[in-house]
Amino acid sequence: MTAVAESRPTRGFSPAARLRGWIRNPWGRPRFLVLMTWAYILWSIVPVLIAVQFSFNGTRSRTVWDSFSTRWYWGDPVDSVWHDPTLRHALVQSFKLAGADVLIAVPIGVLLALGLARWHGRGSGASNFIMLFPLVTPEIVMGVALLLVFTELFTFVHTGTTAQILGHVTFSISFVVVIVRGRLFSIGRQYEEAAADLGASPFVALTRVLLPLLTPAIVASAAVVFAISADDFVISQWLSKGGETDTVPIRIYSATRAAPLPSVNAIATIMMVSTLLIVTLGFVAWRVFTRGERKEGAKEELGAFGM
Amino acid sequence: MARGEIELNKLTKEFAEVRAVDGIDLHVHGAEFFSLLGPSGCGKTTTLRMIAGFEQPTSGQILLDGTDVAYTPPHHRNVNTVFQNYALFPHLNVFDNVAFGLRRAKRPKNEIKQRVGQALELVQLSGYDKRKSSQLSGGQQQRVALARALVLNPAVLLLDEPLGALDAKLRKTLQIELKALQQEVGITFLYVTHDQEEALTMSDRLAVMNGGHVEQIGAPQDVYEDPETLFVADFLGVSNLMEARVVSAGAGVCRVALDGYELETRGTKLDVTGAAKIVIRPERLELEEHGTASGLNRIPGMVERLVYVGSAVQVIVRAATGESLQALIQNTGKGIPFEQGTPVQLHLPPDAVRVLPFGIGDEPSLKADEPAEETAATT
Repeated sequence: MTAVAESRPTRGFSPAARLRGWIRNPWGRPRFLVLMTWAYILWSIVPVLIAVQFSFNGTRSRTVWDSFSTRWYWGDPVDSVWHDPTLRHALVQSFKLAGADVLIAVPIGVLLALGLARWHGRGSGASNFIMLFPLVTPEIVMGVALLLVFTELFTFVHTGTTAQILGHVTFSISFVVVIVRGRLFSIGRQYEEAAADLGASPFVALTRVLLPLLTPAIVASAAVVFAISADDFVISQWLSKGGETDTVPIRIYSATRAAPLPSVNAIATIMMVSTLLIVTLGFVAWRVFTRGERKEGAKEELGAFGM
Repeated sequence: MARGEIELNKLTKEFAEVRAVDGIDLHVHGAEFFSLLGPSGCGKTTTLRMIAGFEQPTSGQILLDGTDVAYTPPHHRNVNTVFQNYALFPHLNVFDNVAFGLRRAKRPKNEIKQRVGQALELVQLSGYDKRKSSQLSGGQQQRVALARALVLNPAVLLLDEPLGALDAKLRKTLQIELKALQQEVGITFLYVTHDQEEALTMSDRLAVMNGGHVEQIGAPQDVYEDPETLFVADFLGVSNLMEARVVSAGAGVCRVALDGYELETRGTKLDVTGAAKIVIRPERLELEEHGTASGLNRIPGMVERLVYVGSAVQVIVRAATGESLQALIQNTGKGIPFEQGTPVQLHLPPDAVRVLPFGIGDEPSLKADEPAEETAATT
């Protein structure tokens, strides 16, 4: 009883007591958690916003604000992202890798997920477990291993774009499998059985029922794969042969160690915005595709996006 | 031969360690409403899934109109299923759900349109074509599932507890509708349920299953009035069980003794004497005031408890033989002439008492709540 009385918003108490009551009020929102969440968001987003701000700086400084300008994007005839060939190539290379990664890893991952989810024999448990390996293996180990593979074993694959794509696909597939398999388990077998019952062959059941139902997970995993590929530094770096095969993260890293200009902030901003855009598109598509499954007005969890 | 005849011969299904269906033989006539009734884990759903083709039998035959379909994949079988949770395709609207099977059969467009229209009319859902399944109530979803299966005009319609997810009142309405629908379309319905009332209400015949076996097959009245095993007696409604000894069995009458009292029952099929159990339904057990009549088939007792259940009053009576028996007295509004502690006389009319020997059905595994192998198998 005392605890309840204590936490009531009361008049005439000291401000400290009232604040305590406001935070502890068991009938209200979980205010302490809300405060923690906002603190975390501020902590993590403020540095990013500052970096974005200085990409629009009018001078060559990355720390002292002068005036708003787009010179580091395209205005500067030498050092802007648009005019500096190394930056431009890095951007192209990053998008090339991310795009190829999505196109290759997503179909393979979906098929793998289908196989793993439907396979109930000897070794299925182990295979399901091994699928998680790339997610927990330190990337540096993976990078070294891949480099050894391409320089010692499969020497017909030279370092550079091909090796980088293969490297990205190798670790991206796991993400696709995990996301799609989760959706497969939540769908269950009932729709496939219903389709078979109504005369659909296994292939037709797959294309007419299962794939449409998996679309949200496929779109989500494509967005995730794009994001992690564009974000990747370690594997891209190990498998790069320098020059035009350096990606944006590599370029930013090396530029920051030399004499960094706000153009580094600009290219980082471009990467961030495009990745955000892709993920947002994925989210919107997921919302659209799962529209029919949600009761109107019901709150839904974010599915694959919640991970 | 009538269309939609099912014959199961020694049908068996084993999962890793359990024998979910243990060599059952069953014959379902064409255009019959047949129910498989049993507690969860009794193998009824597994049997249905084998007929639908989702599970492969370990051994045995499934004859559909004389042809063994045990190894035919589900999409080549002329049976359709109404699933327990309907399994309506969430990405398709009502029309496309119902048209799904016709499109797989590559029917011409206008035929599809016409037949889907008819099917939706049959289940009273005309005008709902464009709705998504999430916009329908449970009862409406159930009707769409029914239309989707019936539109293909199957030889047999399999229904896996289709009313299980609905509330009691809607269930009652749909029970009557389903039965009427079955008579209208004249298709064999194979209905799986654990609800004894549902099975009794709708079925032409039913099979009571337990532990992978069929315990008894018959018309609802036969199974209810004349249970052959303790399990059936117990599963189909509340039964009063008493230990007894068969003194003499014959074609006409059978005499059983229990604890100093002797009862006469109608003749049973058994021709054995010795330990047995006798069964009487609560609604057949009559209560008389103490000392009014004496003699045949009467045992004194004392009222232990009265339970008001609305339409009736349950009277729990401790019989002189030691057993606690339940009697059901219809609530006619006149009140019950007994109260707790009143001495009464129990009357067990000869034709209401059933004699079940030990060994058949053994101990009834009451309201089997043990982790069902059936659920493990289907998920």
